[in-house]
Amino acid sequence: MDQTKEEDFGYDLFPERRKGKYKKGSIAESLFTFNHKCQVMLQFAMETSPYAKLLLSAMKSSGCKVWKDRHFSCEDCDGTVSGGFDAASSQIVLCQNNIHQQSHMNRVVTHELIHAFDHCRADVDWFNNFRHLACSEIRAANLSGDCSFSNEVSRFNFGLKQHHQECVRSRAIRSILAVRKINREEAEKIVDEVFEPCFNDHTPFGRIPHSKKDAKFAYRDYENRDRYYANL
Amino acid sequence: MQTSTGNVKPPRVCDNYWSEFKHCKSLSNRFHHYYTYGTTPSCQQWKEDYYNCREWEKHKGTEAKEELQKSERNRVAEQSKFTPVWKLRQDPPRDWHLPLNQDKPQDS
Repeated sequence: MDQTKEEDFGYDLFPERRKGKYKKGSIAESLFTFNHKCQVMLQFAMETSPYAKLLLSAMKSSGCKVWKDRHFSCEDCDGTVSGGFDAASSQIVLCQNNIHQQSHMNRVVTHELIHAFDHCRADVDWFNNFRHLACSEIRAANLSGDCSFSNEVSRFNFGLKQHHQECVRSRAIRSILAVRKINREEAEKIVDEVFEPCFNDHTPFGRIPHSKKDAKFAYRDYENRDRYYANL
Repeated sequence: MQTSTGNVKPPRVCDNYWSEFKHCKSLSNRFHHYYTYGTTPSCQQWKEDYYNCREWEKHKGTEAKEELQKSERNRVAEQSKFTPVWKLRQDPPRDWHLPLNQDKPQDS
């Protein structure tokens, strides 16, 4: 792998965390800006989205209980990025300047929680192992609703038969290219190598949740998992 | 895991099998399945599981119980047939609960 270009691991997209300082804003900032709206939408997502609730429950069971104030950070970000997972600080970054609708917040929270969940339950080498990174991006695109038919249509990506898989593949490649300095061909090759096992890893949902109803069924199964495994 | 008293109840509440069956056959699920896999889903197993579940509950039939358990074990096997890309942890990451600013800043 060509290492002559200096890797910054995508931290340039999140300028507020470049120096490793985690500043707290003024009261005025928290009440009247995008920061406040972001906090409110985040709270709502954590309390009402069945996707988020299942992931939070799974993380708690895995020993990584999520505290909103510790593990989430609403910040201004560059470009059009919606969020990120910072393994170095164990924080999920939400881009308050780019998330304006609750449905979008729900999806970003779910996507990033999947990364956090992978970080918690597996030995993921985020910074040095591209296969690990690709795997988590495939899972996040697959299970968060990023690639739903309606979301794809809103991006003018029209496709039907097996289009979900094409979308997952291309969004995973896109995510990798955004945070690592490798070329498209390399990214495509890595995603292809790990696609099958990672696309079919539906933990903790047990299925690909295409709708809120799927997610509710998955949450029901998760809550009853002790009974399930005890009676197989 | 077999205990000395054996399994006492079905892995799921019987009504859940029926609701999964109905959900599987719904137009929206068939659409999502085609959009994901390019095929239509097969839902018959959920219906059989429901009847076996009821049979187990009502008459404690061994055959119904074994059929249902076999079906569920197949489902579990389906979910775990791919070799994972990473190793699973024994314990959560040590720095998950550490307060901020005590983590080492990432060197790029």
